[in-house]
Amino acid sequence: MLVTFLDIAIGGLITGGIYALIAVGLSLQYGVGRVLNVSHGEFIMVGAFAGWSLYTIWGISPLVSLVICSPIFFLIGFFVHITLFRYLRSRSKSVEAFIDSSLLVSFGLLFIVQNIALITWKADIRGYSYWDTSVTILEAVFSLNRLVALFFAVAMSGAFYLFLTHSRVGKAIRASAEDPVTAQVMGVNINRVLGICFGLGALMAGFSGILISMIYEIQPNMGLEYTLIAIIVVALGGLGSITGSLIGGFILGLIGNIVTYVDPGLSLVAYYMIFILVLLVRPKGIFGK
Amino acid sequence: MKKDKKRPLTLQNYPGAVLILAFMLFTGVCLILTQAQAASGKAPDKIRIGNAISLSGPYAPGATTTQIAPYDMWLKEVNAKGGIFVKEYGKKLPLEMIRYDDKSDIGTAVKLIEKLILEDKVDLLLPPWGTSMNFAIAPIVTKYEYPVMGVTVDSMKIKEIAPKIPYFFVHLNQPPVKAEAIIPLLKELGVKTAAVVHHADLHGIEFAGYVMPQLSINGIDVVLYKTYPMGAKDLSPLLKQVKAADVDAFLAFTYPPETFLITGQAKAIGLNPKLFYMSIGTAFAAYRETFGANVVEGVMGTGAWNPKVPYPGAKDFWDRMIQAVGPGKVDWYGNAFCYSSVQVLEQAIEKAGTLDRKKIRSVIAGNTFDTVIGPVRYENQINVQSPGEVGQWQNGEFEIVAAKAKRTANPIYPKPQWP
Amino acid sequence: MNHATAKSKKYLSLGLPLLFLLLLAVAPLWIPPYWVVSFNTIFMYIILTLSWAIFSGPTRYISLATAAFFGVGVYAMAMMGQELPFPIVIALSGGLSFILALFIGFLTLRLKGVYFIIFTFGISELIRHLVLWWETKFTGTVGRWVLMMDYTTAYYFLLAIFVITVLSAHIIRSSKFGLALKGIGEYEEAALHIGIDVTTLKTITFAVSAFFMGATGAIMATRWTYIDPTIAFNPLFSFMPVLMAIFGGIGPFYGPLLGAAIFAILEEVLITKFPYYYMLLFGIILIAVILFLPNGLVGLLKKGEKRV
Repeated sequence: MLVTFLDIAIGGLITGGIYALIAVGLSLQYGVGRVLNVSHGEFIMVGAFAGWSLYTIWGISPLVSLVICSPIFFLIGFFVHITLFRYLRSRSKSVEAFIDSSLLVSFGLLFIVQNIALITWKADIRGYSYWDTSVTILEAVFSLNRLVALFFAVAMSGAFYLFLTHSRVGKAIRASAEDPVTAQVMGVNINRVLGICFGLGALMAGFSGILISMIYEIQPNMGLEYTLIAIIVVALGGLGSITGSLIGGFILGLIGNIVTYVDPGLSLVAYYMIFILVLLVRPKGIFGK
Repeated sequence: MKKDKKRPLTLQNYPGAVLILAFMLFTGVCLILTQAQAASGKAPDKIRIGNAISLSGPYAPGATTTQIAPYDMWLKEVNAKGGIFVKEYGKKLPLEMIRYDDKSDIGTAVKLIEKLILEDKVDLLLPPWGTSMNFAIAPIVTKYEYPVMGVTVDSMKIKEIAPKIPYFFVHLNQPPVKAEAIIPLLKELGVKTAAVVHHADLHGIEFAGYVMPQLSINGIDVVLYKTYPMGAKDLSPLLKQVKAADVDAFLAFTYPPETFLITGQAKAIGLNPKLFYMSIGTAFAAYRETFGANVVEGVMGTGAWNPKVPYPGAKDFWDRMIQAVGPGKVDWYGNAFCYSSVQVLEQAIEKAGTLDRKKIRSVIAGNTFDTVIGPVRYENQINVQSPGEVGQWQNGEFEIVAAKAKRTANPIYPKPQWP
Repeated sequence: MNHATAKSKKYLSLGLPLLFLLLLAVAPLWIPPYWVVSFNTIFMYIILTLSWAIFSGPTRYISLATAAFFGVGVYAMAMMGQELPFPIVIALSGGLSFILALFIGFLTLRLKGVYFIIFTFGISELIRHLVLWWETKFTGTVGRWVLMMDYTTAYYFLLAIFVITVLSAHIIRSSKFGLALKGIGEYEEAALHIGIDVTTLKTITFAVSAFFMGATGAIMATRWTYIDPTIAFNPLFSFMPVLMAIFGGIGPFYGPLLGAAIFAILEEVLITKFPYYYMLLFGIILIAVILFLPNGLVGLLKKGEKRV
């Protein structure tokens, strides 16, 4: 019984950890920046391929790649925001207009990134084995790379949470998420904050992409699937609530695993069921205000 | 285009109509531009071959590795020797390929097939990738009388529909052939209990639907039977149940993503039954490359071909493929089938001595062709030749272990422990 | 503007559409066959986008449930196409989508803004997975054959639905009904206060737009000849109408129409000319249009108009 419980719980946390990271990324971009970034998953895909390339070509451990690639992803995201979305935002007459046009631009990004990935890496399935030995926790067995992924997902989430609650930039981000107008009045440089948010979103995507490449096989069209999951989690946790996305990710992972245990055929149905029920009962999400 | 019946005339309103005119003109111009390229063709100086296939989207990995690589190699080789000799014109005609991307979308695939036929007026067609894509184009190519040899089609349904689509040939061995070989193998090895899992898509459902009753008839006890949805990200709960069931044989009817996922997770949780069998993806080169030859040792998979088969040109084809796409990239099943299908096409054109598609079709339907997978012959448009039904990884090679007469090596049983 | 030109313009604005309709009606007789095939796709996109805009345009409730209604139509055709004549199946498909939309509309009454977007998306994905689960569990197979319809017949069916969609869009817009919808889009509480039955209005319009999506799905299924849940409920069909409508410009009535048409043509040209780079080009064009044409293509037209 304990073993079954541990199996489901830890297994769920592992999937959930990655969901949480992905969702936090989207939450930063949408919850704060109002960019429903459908190309989020493409950044994840690029992260995964970066991890794969570095490992198979130069033998660089994915854990090292995490450190090398994260700042690069941040800069890419930041750059995308200041070149495209800042301009769009300054020009848009209303929030709705900005949501519309930024959605289109992120679709454009999706196409561009995916095409470049197809040219660079070809459409093949890729994968590598890294630390795939097994670890036993109280008789429940897990693969080491998944536990490592869980560890990094939790560590990243924790670090990010501290960053949000304790640093000046983090506080500015939270203020902007809740009420951008007031935040601006209070002296927050909203453009910079939004740029940082988008950059952090891309960073999260790249980071989780590398973790994903450690445990799953990867291919250039894998992105959309993760974007959809991120959207579900963000809605579950409540828009604008970054901590909500974090917790929502873990919850979804856990529920997915429980349902897979009962009837694997229903696991995806369960995702959407929960999602719809939450929206009906608590439209603002579990942690929304 | 109908609009603005009684709306008051405003500036907003009027340009609408003009715009629609502009849009019509634009369409016209675009389409004429495309039209201009179409063949004028009386005395052909080449054979034009159309191929709408997935270059992007979820089907792209399969399409690129399984079909596109051998097609392109074939094209290059035929052109290097001057083309295919067509008696009607008394000369060799080189090949020209027109390739489009169907985006892994069935609507686009169907449309592009009609474009190739109606507008580009190609001489022959090559099939798209995937069962549903091939099913969708089958009625269309039949309507326009283009013989097509579908390679990546894998479904029992083809048998019932075959009489209605006489121009569509199925080159790959179908589920009954491959599933039938599993049972004698299990019995020979002395398997008593089995766990069966499969994905909720056509391939898995049909395969399981065929194997399940056979297992019970033959006295093999199915302890666990479960489905899972495609796109599953974590199958360890399921695999742990399999492990707890402690069966002799684990049979999984899978697509490539799950084949990879299950391998990694089974190894991690130490699920190591005496017989470990998965279907699509096991014979991929990427499968061995991802996990390493020592990890996949002893894993069995559906459908097998390797250069040791006793058919003329097999070894040579293998070497040429490796030269064309690089070592560790040639798969151990699909590539050979794909190449074999164009070998049939080439021989059929030569035998027919014409580009008349009706004649080519009847040549394909009524003859036996020597290819790298052996002598191919179609019965009700379904290829009856099969080089191997079950393969097993042994020392980094995908050996044929069933059916018995076709073995290139004896099966390893029980499967060695994961390293 | 003097009276005479106004009058002649009035005839023109009535005559031109009729002329186009006539042209479209006889087009399959003289244009190359592949154009007819292309027109089928273009019509499909136009109908989906336009019917999407019937509801989402004025109310500003962005629906991502198009794939659900379209997919229901596809499935209805796959299941009934063998037994019943096509026109009846097409009408039934529309009807089923209509009912589903009423139900979804009823459920979503509480949701606003982005929650509505996400909810509609979730529901269409849920339906896809449920159909898949149901098919595997109870019919024991996935995927169905659909009776083929030739492209000219499909063309006329689509043309008919297209005309009906345009007319309904027009009628709804220019009626009190449309005004009320616009009121909801601008300020829902105010609309409520002046006595508009907001929920009924929203739900019915939503259902009407779903009717056309379902009918189109039924026709397209006969062109695809083989379908399964992943094909029928492809989430792309939810996103495309939104993209196309924004691309064209949501404001005026011909914006979505134009957006869908140009989008579809652009895709057709790019995908056949540059099979390896079309996504890249498409993405660049998309971004460029958004950056340089703030209000979609319609914005460009209005600019030109002012200059004239």
